[in-house]
Amino acid sequence: MNLNRRLRNNSGGINGSNTTRWFFVLPALAIVICLLIYPLMSTLVYSFTNKTMTKTTFKVIGLANYISVLKDPAFFSAFGHSLLWTAGSVLGQVIVGFIGALSLNQVKNKKIQNVFRICAIIPWAFPAIATAMVWKWMLNGIYGFIPTSLVNLGLTNEMLQFLSTSQLVMPTLMFINVWFGAPMILVNVFAALQTIPQDQYEAAQIDGASSRQSFLYITAPHIRTVVGLLVVLRTVWVFNNFDMIYMITAGGPAGASSTMPLYIYDTGWTGMMVGKASAASMLLLMFLILLCVLYFLVIRRWEKED
Amino acid sequence: MKKKKLSPSVCFSYIFLTILSVMCVFPLLWLLVSAFKSSGEMLANPTSFFPREWTLENFKTVLFTLNFTVNIKNSLIVALITTVIATTVSALAAYGIIRFFPKLGDIMTKLLITTYMFPSIMLVIPYAVVMRTIHLTNSRVGLVLVYMSFSVPYAVWMLVGFFKTVPIAIEESGRIDGANRFQVFTTLVLPLVRPGLVSTAIYVFINAWNEFLYALLLISSSSKQTLSVAVKTLEGADILNWGSMMAASAIVVLPSIIFFCLIQNKIAGGLADGAVK
Repeated sequence: MNLNRRLRNNSGGINGSNTTRWFFVLPALAIVICLLIYPLMSTLVYSFTNKTMTKTTFKVIGLANYISVLKDPAFFSAFGHSLLWTAGSVLGQVIVGFIGALSLNQVKNKKIQNVFRICAIIPWAFPAIATAMVWKWMLNGIYGFIPTSLVNLGLTNEMLQFLSTSQLVMPTLMFINVWFGAPMILVNVFAALQTIPQDQYEAAQIDGASSRQSFLYITAPHIRTVVGLLVVLRTVWVFNNFDMIYMITAGGPAGASSTMPLYIYDTGWTGMMVGKASAASMLLLMFLILLCVLYFLVIRRWEKED
Repeated sequence: MKKKKLSPSVCFSYIFLTILSVMCVFPLLWLLVSAFKSSGEMLANPTSFFPREWTLENFKTVLFTLNFTVNIKNSLIVALITTVIATTVSALAAYGIIRFFPKLGDIMTKLLITTYMFPSIMLVIPYAVVMRTIHLTNSRVGLVLVYMSFSVPYAVWMLVGFFKTVPIAIEESGRIDGANRFQVFTTLVLPLVRPGLVSTAIYVFINAWNEFLYALLLISSSSKQTLSVAVKTLEGADILNWGSMMAASAIVVLPSIIFFCLIQNKIAGGLADGAVK
């Protein structure tokens, strides 16, 4: 700390400490202001106006956009799909990733462990477009590998239309998202597991603790902060995710898989109603902020306990 | 050597990991083998794994008939320029935060990471409006500019962790030798965080390479379009040929997979290091 202060004082004089300091952070600051703060503010402003994509002039219309969004049944249907999509995908990713990490930790042979780990990373490396296209091809209702195999094995009588049946589409999308997202949880939880000192387990074993007790009192407290943070990041990412659903179903069939980002896209781009789309965006963002505040309250309590 | 005893939990672990690995790898293999099958074979025998005859026809169609070389070039240019600019800007900022604003640093990085919450579908509408006024619609320069919005916050966040490890004593010796701030930064500090710079650059590159939404909505002419969107537009063709679709997907997926395998030891640390203090 002391050194730090001395160095900083040093940088005055010839360089002029203020200029140098700002030289380092200014470009990033400009990017944040122009590309993140400004769009946020203009979305907020648009949400109170009747702006459209095509016209340059617009006027303030108060809360009319918010009222029109909140009266729109499509908004609530999209919101419901978003909740289901987020809760289902994140829960699935955490469960699969978590069991995977614990299992990987049980494998003592380093070579085998590494092979499993590399295999499990592969979905994470998939660009969204490749994920979408390979699953669309595998689930294709006429020539797809999965429906054809199910028929060949005698499990179903006819080719299942996973992506165009309204009851099947959400579970299928969530399955694809679990496939894509579980590896990231697995790798990070596994890294956290490695930081737990082994002697704690040995001590517990000597004291006669069962493996369930070891898990509850040693493993869980050690990794819950990492898992908590991962859940926050994943929740935000999945909630905001547009690409995957747009590429696979574009919200179909008949809106059965339309989530909030898809709703905003339909309103703002297809429908050109920028004002209304902005209002929906602001509602989405407020919901996310609320969710994150709740999460962080829990995580902070854990951190204090540690 | 202790006698090996297979407890039920170890057994379960192996079974679980085997199933998981198969499920993780299978789509990649299916994508690759499908890309080498002729369209006739794909439709006649949907469940056979290996192609009876390996063909490069799909790749030829995609690269030359459909002109994907142009889109590959666009994606490469956009992703590379984004990587260079974002990494430079973020390295300066991360160092500046650590050295000059140590008290504000924590709040700054936290604020940066909250921008992660902004949905891109929300940001893209103002971007489109602004681009129209400054005449950057349908331009790759505009796209690179927009890509800074998600690259820079994340890269700064990553790099702050790396810059924290640089001992200040090294810098002080540099200062005493008469180097100015910027020389200290480029000649002494940067070489020390090279591994961090490399992994950050790879992350930025992959994210820019994979980006879809902004490219879809801000670029309208196909000659300027990036690879991801070009693959998506294949679906709009009169006859959707899944062979070419898989060949095109293989072209998108391979750089990503190769990079991930190269850095697979490092990605384990990344987030956990940042999360656990």
